[in-house]
Amino acid sequence: MGVTPVTDKEPPAPLIALRRRRFAGLVAALAALTIVTVLSVMVGSQAIAPSVVWDALFNPSDDFDHFAISDFRLPRTIVGLAVGAAFGISGALIQALTRNPLADPGILGVNAGASFAVTVAVGLLGVSDIRGYMWFAFVGALVVTIVVLALGSTRRGQSPVVMVLAGVCVGAVLGGATSALTMTNPDAFDQMRAWGAGSILGRPLEIVWPVLPLLGVALVLALITSRSLNAMALGDELAASQGVRLVRTRILSVAAITLLAGGATAIAGPIGFVGLMVPHVARWIVGPDQRWIFAYSVLLAPSLLLASDVLGRVVMAPSEIPVGIVTAFVGAPVLIALVRRRKASGL
Amino acid sequence: MIIPSLRRPTAVLTAALLGVSLVLSAAIGASAQETRTIDADNGTIEAPANPQRIATLGRANGSFLALGGKPIAVTKLRQGDFDALLEDQQAAYEAATLLGTSASEADLEKLASLKPDLIFISVPNADFEQMKEKLEAIAPTILLGFHSDWKRRVEVVAEASNKVDVLNKQKADYDQQVAAIKTKYAETIKNDTFVEVGSGEFSKVAVFHLNGSTCTEVVRADVGLDIADLGEGGQSRSYEQIGALADYDVILYPVDHKGNVTEAFRPMTESSAWQALPAVKSGRTVGIYCPLDRSYPGNSRYMESLDRGLAALPKDE
Repeated sequence: MGVTPVTDKEPPAPLIALRRRRFAGLVAALAALTIVTVLSVMVGSQAIAPSVVWDALFNPSDDFDHFAISDFRLPRTIVGLAVGAAFGISGALIQALTRNPLADPGILGVNAGASFAVTVAVGLLGVSDIRGYMWFAFVGALVVTIVVLALGSTRRGQSPVVMVLAGVCVGAVLGGATSALTMTNPDAFDQMRAWGAGSILGRPLEIVWPVLPLLGVALVLALITSRSLNAMALGDELAASQGVRLVRTRILSVAAITLLAGGATAIAGPIGFVGLMVPHVARWIVGPDQRWIFAYSVLLAPSLLLASDVLGRVVMAPSEIPVGIVTAFVGAPVLIALVRRRKASGL
Repeated sequence: MIIPSLRRPTAVLTAALLGVSLVLSAAIGASAQETRTIDADNGTIEAPANPQRIATLGRANGSFLALGGKPIAVTKLRQGDFDALLEDQQAAYEAATLLGTSASEADLEKLASLKPDLIFISVPNADFEQMKEKLEAIAPTILLGFHSDWKRRVEVVAEASNKVDVLNKQKADYDQQVAAIKTKYAETIKNDTFVEVGSGEFSKVAVFHLNGSTCTEVVRADVGLDIADLGEGGQSRSYEQIGALADYDVILYPVDHKGNVTEAFRPMTESSAWQALPAVKSGRTVGIYCPLDRSYPGNSRYMESLDRGLAALPKDE
């Protein structure tokens, strides 16, 4: 039995195996996303034959089944893809930034800020249409994240721990204020429930298009920071010694998280667990390299969201369950499994 | 002797006054203590025969206001329900002490301090069970079940609040109105199939309800419309199934008291599928206002909007 010689030009065998696993996994994730996207268009509470779906897409007419595809299934699939990818990457970013494998965008107060702004819009300003209050949600998420960033900054720079504590505190305060407003205004409470349940159905594409460029910008920011975040996982001092600009990286990361999670929350409402679970699963497969985690999160998060949405359509047919409730059902057991794992996926 | 002769009439007068006052106070006392037995959803209740200080909680607000009642305490009405009240009902509501935003969160200490002699409450049974003992310690409490027959429900309120005469008048007017509609639209009622769609709850995004409102049972039972009984609360369906409405001749859809499509339902009317429905294309849709108070005046307003809607329907070709 001979020993395979390792030359200087060839990477070591474990690294080759890892690369192969990463590429194979990426192809599998892409395949999974393709399958789930097709299922999202094909499957719903109304049984529609594949040939009718095909006609609805490529030869539409005034058939009611065609309307079911063009009015509802296609838009919700597009919304699911955009929102899912945004939640996935923002989750990966927040976990890398805070070096906390169980963090999600909500920890920075994004959901609390968005919810509070929607409550103010609905309860005090009389905004009753999602086209109006989604922008309040977006601005609310943005403002709160900036406040958290400011509160989390010390003289020595931004501390992830202080930032998380600030996020939790601001979130708690806004959560209380939101509850107080909704308790005194039953009408606002009714409308808040619609947005707060988290759904990708009934969201017209016209509200998605303006947010997409912002999500694109955030995606670029995430990619720019990925190398620096890899270095920061080893500790601030080591990262700084490698030339990483810590403050710049943190600010860009928080900006990306805000745009991604704020935009996605504004469109679909607060959908939990997607931003938490997917980066975690990605890390199991690809290891701690943020570039790969981002790539996997872009593919796996919308897959999870759309699969949950399809499940919500069929389990209560002819009615539906909002996807936010399904992800909570799926997410809670997965979270328990994550925290009980003997070896948590390292950052 | 002058003194005894003077004393005698005074004594007689005093005795007479004392007697009268005793009789009066006994009568008043008896009246105040006189009770009647009410067969309510929470059992048989001994309530004052002529209650003067009535508090209403939850959906009982509207039921009592509809009888011309003036509650001493209420819980908050939703803005749309308040706007839909008549002017004198709004005044009566605003004159009452507000106990909280909902019945289950009512300030019971404040309620006790107002010393009501009767309480009407309409909440889900589970909520009532939690409040029952505290409420009954304050005053006799009558539960108006969420799902009880509305006619029996208003009878209970009228009987317990000593307003049976008012109820009888309202009932007679309502019966007359219904009879007129049945005669006027006999052909439509006989030949057309109806469906009521709604989206009363914002929480159920992109889901609509078939024959789910309390008004559905009113038009089915009283007017005789051909509108399917899909059980309590009707059936909820995904927006994907809007096409199923193509099977019906006339669609009833929800509007507010001003006749505007409700905010919760508007997204459905904007969909291409809704626009393509035969009933929508041919103008055979009727916007109806369904009040929540489930009273004769409330359902009378429902009948008015039904009357207007049916009158505006294009004739069958």
